[in-house]
Amino acid sequence: MRLAPSSRPASSGQRGAGLTSLPGDWLNPEAIPQDRVAAEDPGGRARFGTMSWIPFKIGQPKKQIVPKTVERDFEREYGKLQQLEEQTKRLQKDMKKSTDADLAMSKSAVKISLDLLSNPLCEQDQDFLNMVTALDTAMKRMDAFNQEKVNQIQKTVIEPLKKFGSVFPSLNMAVKRREQALQDYRRLQAKVEKYEEKEKTGPVLAKLHQAREELRPVRDDFEAKNKQLLDEMPRFYNSRLDYFQPSFESLIRAQVVYYSEMHKIFGDLTQQLAQPGRPDEQRERENEARLSELRALSIVADD
Amino acid sequence: MTDHGDDELSSRTGSPDKEGRVPEERSLLHQSLAVRELIDTEVSYLHVLQLCASDIRSHLQQLPQGDLDVLFSNIDDIIKVNSKLLHDLQETAAREEEQVQLIGNLFLEFQEELEQVYKVYCASYEQALLLVEAYRMEPRLQREIQDTIEAVLPQAGSSGLSFLLVIPLQRITKYPLLLQKILENTLPDASAYPVLQRATSALQDVVTNINEYKRRKEVASKYTKVEHLSLRERLARINVHTLSKKTTRLGQLLKQEAGLVPKTEDKEFDDLEESFHWVSLCVTELKNNVAAYLDNLEAFLRFRPQEYDLDIPGGPVVQYCYLARDLQLQAFPEFKQRLEALVWQPLCSLAKALAGPQNLIKKRLDKLLDFERVEEKLLEVGSMTYEEEAARHMYEALNSLLVAELPQFKQLAVRWLGQILCTFVTLQRDLAKQVLQRAEGSLAQLPHHHISDPAFRKLVEDALGQTSHQLHAFQENFEKVLPPPTTQPLLPGAEHQVQALLSRYGPGKLYQVTSNISGSGTLDLTLPRGHVVALLQDKDTKGNSSRWLVDTGGHRGYVPAGKLELYHMVPREEELRGQARPHRDSQRQTPEPTLASVPSVPAVTQVVAVYPFVARSSHEVSLQAGQQVTVLEAQDKKGNPEWSLVEVNGQRGYVPSSFLARAPGPALWGWSLPS
Repeated sequence: MRLAPSSRPASSGQRGAGLTSLPGDWLNPEAIPQDRVAAEDPGGRARFGTMSWIPFKIGQPKKQIVPKTVERDFEREYGKLQQLEEQTKRLQKDMKKSTDADLAMSKSAVKISLDLLSNPLCEQDQDFLNMVTALDTAMKRMDAFNQEKVNQIQKTVIEPLKKFGSVFPSLNMAVKRREQALQDYRRLQAKVEKYEEKEKTGPVLAKLHQAREELRPVRDDFEAKNKQLLDEMPRFYNSRLDYFQPSFESLIRAQVVYYSEMHKIFGDLTQQLAQPGRPDEQRERENEARLSELRALSIVADD
Repeated sequence: MTDHGDDELSSRTGSPDKEGRVPEERSLLHQSLAVRELIDTEVSYLHVLQLCASDIRSHLQQLPQGDLDVLFSNIDDIIKVNSKLLHDLQETAAREEEQVQLIGNLFLEFQEELEQVYKVYCASYEQALLLVEAYRMEPRLQREIQDTIEAVLPQAGSSGLSFLLVIPLQRITKYPLLLQKILENTLPDASAYPVLQRATSALQDVVTNINEYKRRKEVASKYTKVEHLSLRERLARINVHTLSKKTTRLGQLLKQEAGLVPKTEDKEFDDLEESFHWVSLCVTELKNNVAAYLDNLEAFLRFRPQEYDLDIPGGPVVQYCYLARDLQLQAFPEFKQRLEALVWQPLCSLAKALAGPQNLIKKRLDKLLDFERVEEKLLEVGSMTYEEEAARHMYEALNSLLVAELPQFKQLAVRWLGQILCTFVTLQRDLAKQVLQRAEGSLAQLPHHHISDPAFRKLVEDALGQTSHQLHAFQENFEKVLPPPTTQPLLPGAEHQVQALLSRYGPGKLYQVTSNISGSGTLDLTLPRGHVVALLQDKDTKGNSSRWLVDTGGHRGYVPAGKLELYHMVPREEELRGQARPHRDSQRQTPEPTLASVPSVPAVTQVVAVYPFVARSSHEVSLQAGQQVTVLEAQDKKGNPEWSLVEVNGQRGYVPSSFLARAPGPALWGWSLPS
C-alpha cells in the first residue's frame, strides 16, 4: 500500500515536526508506521532490505536502491569465497601438522639405529655391528630425503596456501567498506526522499539540493565499490584453479620421489641382510620359536 | 623270563678244559638275556604309557584341562620317541652278531632326544605329585580316579595315579642299568664293547643332566618370579630372620666397599653380567624407540589434508585426494598393524624375558654376600651351621646356573634382535612398494608426468611465482576499495569563513578537517573537526609531505595531512560512474566544464542559492541561503564558469556558481528505478 502524496504532511505530523523528531525515533523505532516500512514500490517489487538488524530504522529509503538480483549475486559470490577461505585456512594448518608428524617419525627412526650403534654389543659381535651400521646408514639417508620432501612441500604447497589465505583479509575489509558505503547511501537516500516529500519552499529546496549533492558522491562510491567487487570476486575465486593445481601436482610428485628412494634403499638393505620375502605367518612362527627357546632356559621365568 | 639256558649252564660248570669257553658262553647267554630284557621291558613300558595317554587320560574328564596338562606333561612326546626307539631296537634283533653294537649306536643316537624329552617330564613331575596329593584330599574324586585306573590297569594298585606317573622316571633311570648289564656280559675285546661303554656312560649323563636341569629349574623358579608386593605385604614379610639376613649382607657389602674385606672377584661372572646388561639395555632402548615411532605414525595418520574441499572438480587436486585417502585407509594401517605384530610384540616378549635373569643376578649377589660372611666365619670358627652350608650351596647353585645359561641367553636374544630388525627393514620396503603401486595410477594422469623432476621443480617454481604476482594484484585491488568520502556538515557560522577562503583560493584548495587536530609545535594549529581550511603548501619547510601549511582564514599554520580531506564544494557536474579507483586527489577537484555531460535536464530557470554569499564588490551581489535567483549567465565576462551572473531581489551581480543549485534536481542516477 502506497501512501498518497496528500497524506505526507499528515504522516510527518504523526512523527512530530520535521527533523527534530528523528532522534526520538532512534530510541523508539515503533514510531515509524509499519506500513511505511513494509511498503512496496509502485512497480510491484517488494521493498528490499528492511535491514531490521540495523539499530536505527530511520533512514530507510522508500526506493529500492539495490536490486535483489544484484544483492543475491553478491552474497553468492562472497559466500563461496568465505567457504574457500575457511577451507584453505584449515587445509594449511592440517598440512603443517602432517609434515611435522612426518618429520618426527623420521627422527624417531634415526634414533632407533643411533641408539643401537652406541651399544657396546656392537664391539663384541661383528655381525651385529655390520647389520646395525647398514641400518644406520639407511635411516640417515631416508631422513635426509624426508627433509627434502618436507622442504619441497613447504615451498610448493604450504607457502602458497598461506599466500592465498592472506588475500582474504583485504577482501573482507573491502566487503565491509562496501557495506558501510551501502548504509551511508541508504541513509542519505532516505534523507533526500524526506525532503522531496516536503513542500517546495526555498529553504526546503536548498536543503534538498544540498542533500542531493551529498548523496551523489556516496552513491557513486557505493556503485563503484559494488561493481569492483562483483567483478573481482569471481575472478579471484576462479584463480584458485590455476593456483592450486601446480601445488598439488608438486605434492604428489614429491611423495613419489621420496617413496621411490625408500623402496630402493630398504630393498637393497633387505637383500643385504639376506632376509628373503617370507609371509607374515612364517615370521610370526619364528618369533614364537625364538620366545620358546628363551623360555626353555631355566633362568627365564615362564609366565 | 626264565628259559632253558640256565639248565645248560649248570651242566657245563664242571669241565675244566671248557673253562675258558664256559664263562664266555655264560656271558653270551647273559648278554642275550639282558638284551631280551631290554627289549621286552621297552615293549611293556610303551604299552603302559599308551594306555595312560589314551584311555586313562581321556576318562579323567572331571579334571580341568590345565591339571591334565600338568599331570601327563609331555607324555605324547615321550611316546613318540620311545616308539621310534622300540622300533629300531626290534629291527636290530634281525642282525644277530652285530646286535649289541647296533644297540649301542642306537642309544648314542637317541641320547639327545631322550634327554630333551624326559627332562621336561621330570621337571613338571613335582607339580604333578602336588596335584595328586590334592586329589587324595577329596575322597569322592579320589575314588573316581581310582576306579578309572583300575578299569584299565588293574596292576596299578591302590596308589593308582602316582604309580602311573612315576613310570617314565623309573624307565629313564633304568636305561643305564640295563646297558650296564649288557656291558658286563660283553667281552672287553668285542667290537661292540667300546660302543656299548660309550652308550652306557651317555645314558648315565642323560640322567645326571636331567637331575641337574631339575635342580636348576627349582632354584630358578624360586627366584625368577618378580613379585609385585604391596607395601603392606613387604612390611609383613619382614621378620627377625629376614632383617638379620639383610643387615648382614649390607654389612658385608660395606666392608667390601671400604676395602676391609676382599671382594670375591669373579671376572668371568662380571663379564657375563656386563654383557647381559648391554643386551638388556639394547632391548629396552629399542622397545622405547619403536614405541615412539609408532606414536609418531599414529599422529601422522591423524591429519587428513585430503578431506578439505576447495571446490575443484578435477586435476591434480582430486588425484591427490584419492591417493591420500587410499594410503590412509589401506597402506598405512596395514603397515602399522604389521609393525605391531611383527616388531612391537616380539620386543615386548623379549623385554619381559629379561626380568628373570635380572632377578637371579640380584639374588646371586645377595647369596654371595651371605657366602662370604660364611667363609669369614669358617676361618674364625672353623665350622658352620647347617643354614650357612645351605647358603653356600644356594650361592653355588645360582652361580653355576647363571654361568651356564647367561651366554645362551645373550646369544638367543641377540639373534632374535637381529631378526626383529630385519623384519623392520622389510616392512619399510613393503610400505614403500605399496605407496608406489597406488601412486602409479595418479602419477600417469598428472599433466606433467612426462617431465623430469628437476625440470618439473623449476616449472612449479615459475608457475607459483606468476600466480603469486596475480594474488598480489588481487590483494591490491581489494585494498583500493576505499572508505567512502565523508562530507562533513559545515559548522555553524563557518559559511562566511568558507566563502572568504573560497573566493581567495578557489574551490580546489579547500580541505575539511576530519578529526580534531591538536597542534603541538609553535607553528601547528589546533582545529576542531569539520573546520575548513585552504591549502597553501602540501609539505613543510623540511620537505615532510605529511605536514601541510594551511590558512584557516585567520591563522596560518601546519596541520597533519592525514586529518584533512578535500572539501567538496559540491561541484555540480562530477562524473564518477565507471571509475574503479576514486583517489582523493583525483578528478574531483575540477568540475566538468560544461553542462552538456549532465543527462538531459529540462531547462529550468528556477535556481536557488544554497549558501549565503556576501558581495565584496559592486560587481557581486549578496545571497541568502534558500533564496531564489534567476541565472542570467552561467559564466563571467572572461568566460570563467566559476562565476554566474544572477538577478536576485531586483539586483544583478556575480555570485559563485557553486553556491547555486537547481530545484527540483535531475533524476537521480543509480540502479534502474521503477517507471
